[in-house]
Amino acid sequence: MTAARIVINEIKGYHRFIKFMMVLVGAAALASAVRFIFGLGATTNLNDLYPWGLWISFDVVTAVPLAAGAFTIGIVAHVFHIKKLEPLVRPAIVTGFLGYSLVCVGLLLDLGQPQRGPYVLFNWNVHSPMFEVSMCVMAYTTVLFLEFLHPVSERFGWHIPLRLLRTLELPFAILAAMISTLHQSTLGTFFLIAVDKLHNLWYNPLLPLQFWLSAIFTGLSIVIFEASLVHKYMGQPDESDLLATLTKIIPWIMGVYMLVKVYALAFLSHGPLFDRPVLTALFSVEVVVGLLIPFSMFLTKRIRTDKQMQLRAASLVITGLVLNRFNVSMFAMHQPGQPAYFPNFIESVVTIGIIAAHILFFVLVAKYFPIFEHHPEATDYTIPDRFRKIEQHGEGHGKASEA
Amino acid sequence: MSSSTIDYGKTKTFLIDTTKCTGCRGCQVACKQWNQLKGEKTTFFTGEGYQNPPQMSEFTFTRVKFKDYEKHGQNEFAFYKEMCMHCNDPACASVCPVGAFHKTPEGPVIYNAKKCIGCRFCMVACPFGVPKYEWSKAFPLVKKCTGCYSRVKNGLHPACATACPTAITYGSRDEMLKEAEKRMAAKPDRYFKVIYGKEEAGGTSVLYLTQQPLDELGFRPVTKRPLPSYTWQALRFVPGIFLTVGGTLSLVTWFQHRKDRVRREEEERNNRKEGNQ
Ligand code: SF4
Ligand code: SF4
Ligand code: SF4
Repeated sequence: MTAARIVINEIKGYHRFIKFMMVLVGAAALASAVRFIFGLGATTNLNDLYPWGLWISFDVVTAVPLAAGAFTIGIVAHVFHIKKLEPLVRPAIVTGFLGYSLVCVGLLLDLGQPQRGPYVLFNWNVHSPMFEVSMCVMAYTTVLFLEFLHPVSERFGWHIPLRLLRTLELPFAILAAMISTLHQSTLGTFFLIAVDKLHNLWYNPLLPLQFWLSAIFTGLSIVIFEASLVHKYMGQPDESDLLATLTKIIPWIMGVYMLVKVYALAFLSHGPLFDRPVLTALFSVEVVVGLLIPFSMFLTKRIRTDKQMQLRAASLVITGLVLNRFNVSMFAMHQPGQPAYFPNFIESVVTIGIIAAHILFFVLVAKYFPIFEHHPEATDYTIPDRFRKIEQHGEGHGKASEA
Repeated sequence: MSSSTIDYGKTKTFLIDTTKCTGCRGCQVACKQWNQLKGEKTTFFTGEGYQNPPQMSEFTFTRVKFKDYEKHGQNEFAFYKEMCMHCNDPACASVCPVGAFHKTPEGPVIYNAKKCIGCRFCMVACPFGVPKYEWSKAFPLVKKCTGCYSRVKNGLHPACATACPTAITYGSRDEMLKEAEKRMAAKPDRYFKVIYGKEEAGGTSVLYLTQQPLDELGFRPVTKRPLPSYTWQALRFVPGIFLTVGGTLSLVTWFQHRKDRVRREEEERNNRKEGNQ
């Protein structure tokens, strides 16, 4: 059998869902080709009134905090050294790596001159939040890639890199947190320039702090969300007792976030707050559905053991974050009297494709690389590996430890 | 980024006296000619009132806005030439990741098309909605009024200011401010008591005198603070935060791992054989 044949046969064996995801990704690839041939003006609903649309709002401003799971769980598991959470780290890193890679793809699609992307490296403008985010995203995607090499080296039994990566695990976790703090908050700084444009319900000088805090608790919620789904649909072990630890951490950060939000709203915003009914409604949904309800769920005892409830609370937090980022970057930037912006077909297909690509690649990576069978009892984290573990498992590491 | 060494009083500035504007749109035509901009197919009354084209665009860097109003029971027009304000501390320059915009010491804020990556942050940031995009192209760039930098550098006045028969005066910012105040003092009934652009966005190189209140004419209410200061108040903490987060987390790591090591050593002492996991 030729290589192509093997690949085709392999794909034929996939679940229907995966095939469907492949179709979506393919459609998005086509749509982006159309975008490059005919230009942004012809293929999107963007115009001089709305220079930023769905691609910036979702693919960048929302996708970045949604990929925050990797650095948050990295801090909790490595820095605070809660070793039992180790099994959650690797899936989070894979999600983070895919997430950031797709952020890069989304950003490049949206740029008018994507081929000039690297110019950012040579023309520094430290006054630009966009400069900072681009640098951070590039740096962090690299870090995530290196972290992602970990399961890859394990899969292929590359001893030396593996040993190196083990040693670097902790410094990487810290570096990831440093870089993430910067760009998660700076995404909020983006909108500080929109004085007189962004509505007062969201515009205040503490926006960067709020973006950072919400990225942290959403990152942890994403870890819960993902672990629950992976348990449900991919037959992986139930980690709900590990997730219980996270459910204890999340409400603290959410609490601080809500205090900051209330303080900023009460003392730091200017002008009328509730003058636009639609925005008031969006704000209320964001606060009630995305903050108050999940917050009270996280405070109950039941959530420590109830898998369903963990998933539900995490989903609400994620919904709230998505709504918050859209409110800031799209809905509340809309000026009264202006025609409204709606993403058109091509923009939507691309964004749906990016989400599908995330799911697809995650499932595929999980299929071919050891990202789940990574339990603390099997690995010693404080000392670099002395080749012992890998030689035992060798090539068939994945299967061997699964058995 | 503009250098803070620019003496704004000396920068070349437009004084646009809308009370003297006749709405001839000579500036609009001169601008098209000088910048060799394509004509746009437009129809009347697609924007507000008589103005045409309906808005500034990649092909139209300046445009005269028409505003109907009633005075002593009669219909009157007010005209307002819209263009880049050439801010002293421009938002467009501060947000651009590659620094494609900068404020020249002569006054105009100019754009370097060779650097631009096309992120369109400048368009989001500009408080006056000036930068426009080449939506018609597959690999678009930003377009806006250049302040006729090439002319100004060579001692000429901008094309629009040269073409204008009545309303535009061009000179150093200090002189233009003085002139504006002189006019307001000489004919107090004729002028609304604010010079638009004196303080807007921290001061601009385009100043307007009007008869009607500014909002009635469609001037955007804009903050008096230079816009870049809004983002800088957060961005200036970046290096500090970066190091603080790194330092704090390293300390926490050291502490947490030490706890663990101590515990393990103790275990090891208690049970020599099973000690190393
Ligand atoms: S008006 Fe807008 S485009 Fe012109 S200099 Fe000021 S910020 Fe830049
Ligand atoms: S679109 Fe071009 S000029 Fe405008 S901010 Fe982006 S890179 Fe700078
Ligand atoms: S200064 Fe030059 S580019 Fe700007 S509006 Fe006048 S003629 Fe046009």
